[in-house]
Amino acid sequence: MREPAASNVCLTIEGLTKRFGGFYALNQLNMDVRQGHIHALIGPNGAGKTTFFNLLTGVLPADTGKIVFDDQTIDDARPSRRTLKGIARTFQNIRLFPHLTVMETVMIGEHCRAYPSVWKALGDAVLKRPFHESDAERGMRANAIELLEFLGLADKRDDKASDLPYGEQRKLELARALATNPRLLLLDEPAAGMNPRETDELDQVITRVRDRGITIILVEHDMKLVMGISDNVTVLNFGTKIAEGPPERIQDDPVVIEAYLGEDVQL
Amino acid sequence: MFDGLLDGYTRSLLIFAGINVIAAYSFYLPYKTGQVSLGQAGFMAIGAYTSAILSQKFGIPFAAALIVGGLVAGIIGIIVGFPALRIKGIYLLLLTLGFFEIVSVIALSWEYVGGAQGFRQISFNPFTLAYVLGIIVILLLFFARLERSSLGRAMDSIHQDETAAEVMGIDVVRIKLLAFGLGAMLAGLAGALYAHHATFMDSTTFNIMLSVEILVFVVVGGGSTFWGPVFGAIVLNAIPEFLRALREWLELIPVGWTNFYPVNRAYDFLHGFLDFENAKRLIAYGVILILMMIFRPDGLLTRDSLRRLRFPRWKTRHA
Repeated sequence: MREPAASNVCLTIEGLTKRFGGFYALNQLNMDVRQGHIHALIGPNGAGKTTFFNLLTGVLPADTGKIVFDDQTIDDARPSRRTLKGIARTFQNIRLFPHLTVMETVMIGEHCRAYPSVWKALGDAVLKRPFHESDAERGMRANAIELLEFLGLADKRDDKASDLPYGEQRKLELARALATNPRLLLLDEPAAGMNPRETDELDQVITRVRDRGITIILVEHDMKLVMGISDNVTVLNFGTKIAEGPPERIQDDPVVIEAYLGEDVQL
Repeated sequence: MFDGLLDGYTRSLLIFAGINVIAAYSFYLPYKTGQVSLGQAGFMAIGAYTSAILSQKFGIPFAAALIVGGLVAGIIGIIVGFPALRIKGIYLLLLTLGFFEIVSVIALSWEYVGGAQGFRQISFNPFTLAYVLGIIVILLLFFARLERSSLGRAMDSIHQDETAAEVMGIDVVRIKLLAFGLGAMLAGLAGALYAHHATFMDSTTFNIMLSVEILVFVVVGGGSTFWGPVFGAIVLNAIPEFLRALREWLELIPVGWTNFYPVNRAYDFLHGFLDFENAKRLIAYGVILILMMIFRPDGLLTRDSLRRLRFPRWKTRHA
């Protein structure tokens, strides 16, 4: 049962479909995400969750369907345009820039806000004092430090991104996505590879991000995390939505338990 | 300029080395966004022919011809850059190679610019050395700024992971086009400078080996910092001169010291190996390239090695 689209819906998906050859990675998906919610997207491997993120960010083109973000259709926009409109993401298989430092990585996220036009970026690159940072740069650096402190990475600001341990690389991905100043944040298995203590921290970080007014779509296999913080849960199986609702209802839904979790799993 | 200081040979050497430095930067700029081009000799040819037509056939002063030559090469660079946007790695190499072939066939068959006879009697510019040095200084200042700017960082991020950069809001299309176009413009400037120094060129002057050499300057010097291309171009231009000097030192050894077996055989071999006009010199060049790729695949200068060199304090500042 779908709730009627209310005025505070920030993302509406209509009939979104993606085929790879004869395989439907995503089939006629309809979904509303409400402003300020943590909306979890769960399902077994290959259910279409990451494909959904790739369609939403424009990394892959959709076959059919419509994506409406903040009352604007964004289907034809390039990925960088969608980021400017306020959609940011992390990657399931971490994709940091291996040769950049932690600080530089976060500043990449800030670039699109500081320099929406290439000409402004070129002007700032050329017309300032050689061997010095420009004012805009200094501002970006200050913001980056703030974000790194928020995520507990400030001590590692000069380390190479690829030298960080796995859990911190995930945090850095989150910092880089937040640096784009998004209104919708797509998290693709942020807890993968984290130990229980790190997962608890992540739980708090996600909640605090939500409290800043950022809507979150969370793809995650850690059910304790998902059921603990989500406002709404959508369950996918073979590219099709099989259930949607608040976590308590999803946990008891026999369809979900059978299709995804297996009968012996206790939620 | 420097008339009293330099003999003609040294001066010519400096000019060609300097033109190679500019050409190396023309490769480095698109390379910074992950685009590897084998077409830089083609852009040099466009700059050279455009400026030579303007100065020789229309009597336009060299400075104006130089600028127009660079701009025309840059505009054609942007046109070539569009299809290059979607193509990566070895396919981009082939695309730029194809572009280069088109340019050289046009140079060969266009009678207006001399065709197979070559473009003769291009007006000689006596100030080439000053122009070359001036442009290099401007380029060094530009790249020093770029490396510390957000745009430079955005270029690095595109090089390292284009999809991730695009998803982080980096305008990959415009930045790659900008880099490719500016790179082509630099190549055009280098070509125009060459034409008005050599005063003669034909369709083989800007050949595929030149494109490859330009690539080698950057790879050997180091593609991760703007000091790499200038260093690589100078080092590789100096190697033949260095080998020649070694040979002259060798000849200072008294004959009596080496005139017995097996030292005489070793001496003869070494002497031939260092012969500037000898093909064995190319062996030395090749050996250097192979050793480089084994021991310093990232080039002689890397950003990390420079950081250690200049700012040893950086390591501890935030510890």
